[in-house]
Amino acid sequence: MQSPASDGGRYNHVKIVVTVKLVPDPNAEKRIDPQTKRLVRTGVETVLNPYDEYALEAGLQLKERAGGEARVTIFSMAPEPLKETLRKALAMGADDAVILADPGLEDSDVWATAYAIAGALRKLEFDLLIVGGLTDDSSTGAVPGALAEHLGLPCVTNARKVEFADGALDVERETDVGYQVVRTPLPALLTTALTFGEPRYASLKGIMGAKKKTIAITTLADLALELPVGAAGSKTELRDFAPPPARGKGLTVEAGDGLTGAQAIFDFLHEKKLV
Amino acid sequence: MKHVIVFAEHRQGQTRKITFELATEARRLADALGGKACAVVLGEGAGRIAEQLKSYPLDTIYVSEDRDVDTYLLDPSVDYLQSAAQIVGPSLILIPNTLSGRDVAGRLMVRLGAGVVADVVDVQIAGGEVVCVSPKLGGVLITSCALRPSEYGIATVRPSAFAAAPGGPGAQIVSLEKPAKTYPAAIERDIEEGAGELALEEAPVVVAGGRGLGGPEPFETLLKPLARALGGAVGASRAAADAGWVPYNLQIGQTGKTVTPKLYIAVGISGAIQHKVGMRASGTIVAINKDAAAPIAEFSDLLVVGDAFRIVPELTKLIDTAKGNLS
Repeated sequence: MQSPASDGGRYNHVKIVVTVKLVPDPNAEKRIDPQTKRLVRTGVETVLNPYDEYALEAGLQLKERAGGEARVTIFSMAPEPLKETLRKALAMGADDAVILADPGLEDSDVWATAYAIAGALRKLEFDLLIVGGLTDDSSTGAVPGALAEHLGLPCVTNARKVEFADGALDVERETDVGYQVVRTPLPALLTTALTFGEPRYASLKGIMGAKKKTIAITTLADLALELPVGAAGSKTELRDFAPPPARGKGLTVEAGDGLTGAQAIFDFLHEKKLV
Repeated sequence: MKHVIVFAEHRQGQTRKITFELATEARRLADALGGKACAVVLGEGAGRIAEQLKSYPLDTIYVSEDRDVDTYLLDPSVDYLQSAAQIVGPSLILIPNTLSGRDVAGRLMVRLGAGVVADVVDVQIAGGEVVCVSPKLGGVLITSCALRPSEYGIATVRPSAFAAAPGGPGAQIVSLEKPAKTYPAAIERDIEEGAGELALEEAPVVVAGGRGLGGPEPFETLLKPLARALGGAVGASRAAADAGWVPYNLQIGQTGKTVTPKLYIAVGISGAIQHKVGMRASGTIVAINKDAAAPIAEFSDLLVVGDAFRIVPELTKLIDTAKGNLS
């Protein structure tokens, strides 16, 4: 990490890192194989975690506003390097990508995941780290806070609007009941809300250009972490998993008029002691 | 892990239902572990919350009314929780699975070297081991996850997962010392929107509308009165949020909120997978739709095929009348 790139309010050398996760397509119906009790992944495309697209959009908007030499680097962690999916993220406009890819990361829980990512991020220089709010496949929501602690960064989550200002970052962040306006010094960690604005599509030029961009692969050996990761370094242990009890198809009532339909619902709720 | 600590999240002295749910559950877990049940309440109004929490079966309530908690982002809260955890000793920390709860959990995890299990709906203790049950992948899987033996463990708990029951001898209230620290990220303005409305994730009944409503007005004129009659909150499908009929914070589904009310009423919602994963774990699902073949038919307990614009006002009247008769 380095100090803020601000120079009298100019940000044209700002370095932004956006972390992304690659997940099974969330629009595909998730099914559990009754035999193996595992998630069926065949025929399901690997895509950028939808929440992370908003983080990337935030990074790209800030880069555009900063102009000059401002850069966006994508960071991802996976047991194996999934370069093709990362190319799509690069096609949206990021400059380069770094993947921490190592079979030793398999079965890492949230503690081991955050620890490994923090180790890899320490090797990068940045003024702003942007992380998606949640992950689509196994969400704990704890990774951003953990990264902020590991890296000693201020942690501003759930941003819907960001702006560089006076060597700092002004953030409008959503809360459960409204929003807050926060000013944080840089470097800092930011997570984005889904209200940030629709992520852009890659242009044809972007897609062509992405083929030439660098994707650097780093491994656990490069990081020389003190503590183990993967299953051995995890602080939680999956004991059992099963699909929930099936919800059978219920009753269907045709309602010729409003009162018939209303009465059918009322009687049903009354029977279930819900009214 | 011997004791149990509850992070009693609140907003300027306004409690959340989950605080009392966690206080009740903390007693059961502490008894099973052979330790104490404690809570930590921070910021403006903390004293008032602590007084209310005294009617719940806790041993000790740690309190600080430090205004830094409300002036800065979560940094002071994390410091106070860490120091309370160190005073109490090895413990399981229960945190509401909310926006700020998740931030707090990630940070405490690193401070305390603790494991985290998220979105927990049940906790089992056997032979001193803590096993947490939580739905994953939008409810497709129910997992059981053990916190490995360690001084501290953290569970972020889903609202309404546990019942709140007052009782107990009345806890001792203890003040926490202010940390000698300065904080970087100051809250310059804090604005409430839609104040006084029931939080979607905590509502026992959710009445949600979709594309079939055709515009923003029916959310006000049809769904709100029904939600009010049932003591619930209004939600929406992604189609309705994308169309700008309702704000995104009402969106239920894959890219929105996950809700698990006792009763879910879907009005003019077709039931695409995007929506289904955010509500499939609800207790009872009732759908009102023009189309008998809509996908929502496959996972509703009752589908009424008909005109929502005529059915919903009649249903609201029936419920209001029934409630009037009861009182």
